[in-house]
Amino acid sequence: MWNSRFDYLYVAPAILVMLIVIGYPIYYTIELSFFNTPASLALSAKQFNGLDNYATILTSPIFWKVTWQTVVWTVVSTFFAFVLGLGAALALHREFVGRGFLRALLLIPWVVSAVAASYVWKWLYHSDFGAISAMLSGLGLIDRPINFIDNTSTSLYALIVVNVWKEFSFAMIMLMAGLQTVPDTLLRAAQVDGASPWQRFWHVTFPHLSGVSMVTLLLLAVQNFNSFIIPWIMTGGGPAGSSDIWITHIYQLAFGRQRWGVASAYAVILFIVMMVLGYFYVRALTKGDDARAGA
Amino acid sequence: MAQVILKDVVKNYGDVYAVNHVSLTVEDGEFVALVGPSGCGKTTTLNLVAGLIPMSGGSISIGDRDVTDLDPKDRDIAMVFQNYALYPQKSVYKNLAFPLQMRKLPKDEIDKRVQAAAKTLDIVHLLERKPRELSGGQQQRVALGRALVREPRAFLMDEPLSNLDAKLRVQMRSEIKRFHQDLNATIIYVTHDQLEAVTMSDKMAVMNGGFLQQYDSPANVFANPVNMFVASFVGSPAMSLVPLTAASKDGKVVLQSPEGWEMPLSDANGRKALRAKSSKVVLGGRHSTIKVHKSSVPGAVPGKVYTVEPTGDVTFAQVFVSGAVVNVSVAPTFQLRPDEPVFVEFDQERLHLFDGETEMALKLA
Repeated sequence: MWNSRFDYLYVAPAILVMLIVIGYPIYYTIELSFFNTPASLALSAKQFNGLDNYATILTSPIFWKVTWQTVVWTVVSTFFAFVLGLGAALALHREFVGRGFLRALLLIPWVVSAVAASYVWKWLYHSDFGAISAMLSGLGLIDRPINFIDNTSTSLYALIVVNVWKEFSFAMIMLMAGLQTVPDTLLRAAQVDGASPWQRFWHVTFPHLSGVSMVTLLLLAVQNFNSFIIPWIMTGGGPAGSSDIWITHIYQLAFGRQRWGVASAYAVILFIVMMVLGYFYVRALTKGDDARAGA
Repeated sequence: MAQVILKDVVKNYGDVYAVNHVSLTVEDGEFVALVGPSGCGKTTTLNLVAGLIPMSGGSISIGDRDVTDLDPKDRDIAMVFQNYALYPQKSVYKNLAFPLQMRKLPKDEIDKRVQAAAKTLDIVHLLERKPRELSGGQQQRVALGRALVREPRAFLMDEPLSNLDAKLRVQMRSEIKRFHQDLNATIIYVTHDQLEAVTMSDKMAVMNGGFLQQYDSPANVFANPVNMFVASFVGSPAMSLVPLTAASKDGKVVLQSPEGWEMPLSDANGRKALRAKSSKVVLGGRHSTIKVHKSSVPGAVPGKVYTVEPTGDVTFAQVFVSGAVVNVSVAPTFQLRPDEPVFVEFDQERLHLFDGETEMALKLA
């Protein structure tokens, strides 16, 4: 009894800090989402309006456009980051000369600051003096520079390329760690049993990676739903909202247009989505524990 | 089943020779144990036969086919691993079916063979389970089953019993032996446990430092070890080895200890001792051939009891003789105390003599 009382005492400071910096803002955001707020910081003048903010959001075509763009952004980014990461992990799992160097090289995107990377890519994409257009026209593949990010039909995909480039290293690291856990004798057994390299991957390696793959996919998805830096710096959600995703849109609503109530309602919706993903993440993690405990 | 022939097989990693010019023939239906201490090259040899690692030199043939350059899947062999290497996500049935699926056998043929193998190994009731739901012995049986369904030309087993507890190991030992007898299978079996090798195999290949030391029946290896390594590796307790000096005295050959005692050798043993490169000769004897006396008798040499280990049927003791440890066994009624001076007598008919320089057994021409 005494022991457990002391345990609570030990975690009390951490809980107190979390309540102040996380708990209270969450509460306040939820509260604000039910209020009509003035376009100023005079929030004491807010007026309760029930679910009006939610109704406004859910009936607005922009919400559905941004949601669709967020889903595209998240799903496409997550898929390609995972596939590229898996490919890189498998390639780097074999031993060859220069493996360490290549491994370090492929880690660079993940290590560099997202802000710096965004500016570099913005420059690479630039329609007038961007390196990519210059290279392509130098090779004679295009007549005039491509407008990657100042074009409503390509901006989102141009950003996804940057995002995938930025985070595939993360998937690579996770999957490389997963590959280490594949027992060598199992691969040998499969080899003797007559499995081709592809069959060995499918029957032995891939099942061993299922746990870490699940966790990686969920972490990538959460990270992508919450993306802000790359789209904000490179396009600010534009042009004409064509690369707007939830977080950039919420930021714009709150700090650009001071629509605190609506922005808060947006944030609450995003929060619910993230909690659902979080639930699956925790379940994937603990399921792995149960499987190991049962082994 | 088929004959397996290794000719001058070499595996080296730079200057390190894991397998050094090993040649041996495993006859059709024979159970051969590759035995030796850790790092002796036995597992590497097995992996070379399986084709899991590339050879540096030599050739291997299975049946009438040279398989030196073939992939493991084309060698028509089955392998059983120390940690069973069952596919954890697949049921027992699917584990057994896997090698057959890889060979694209028709479904009903696969089912027939899986059921037959499961029946042979008494694992029919486990077919729907996952490997992690099985005990160590059951997993080992599934691993054997997965090898069995293939109907391969040879079975390769890499320390299949090492992960089992002592009791189960003895039980599975006889099961594998039975498996060999029933199928008349060609089996190459790697173990570091000389007892497993002696009890299970038709022939044992004793390896050390990448070299094949001796390849013969367990009885012959036990009775006539070719060198000091084999002598000290095979048998439990190991053969005792006492380094001494051979000298001629009054027309007879005697072994002298630095402490001053002498042990006369029989004529035959004397002639053997004289064949050594130098006067350095190592005397070897198994515990069962050494008598212990409380007082001096002719031919016996002095020693001092170090430890006494009663086991019930027989009492083992270690006796210091000329600085070397000699394992002896006495009747449980024969009382020995640590530090007690005793006299040990080697049986002239059954003692072994080794060249102190070359460590090879000394034989009559």
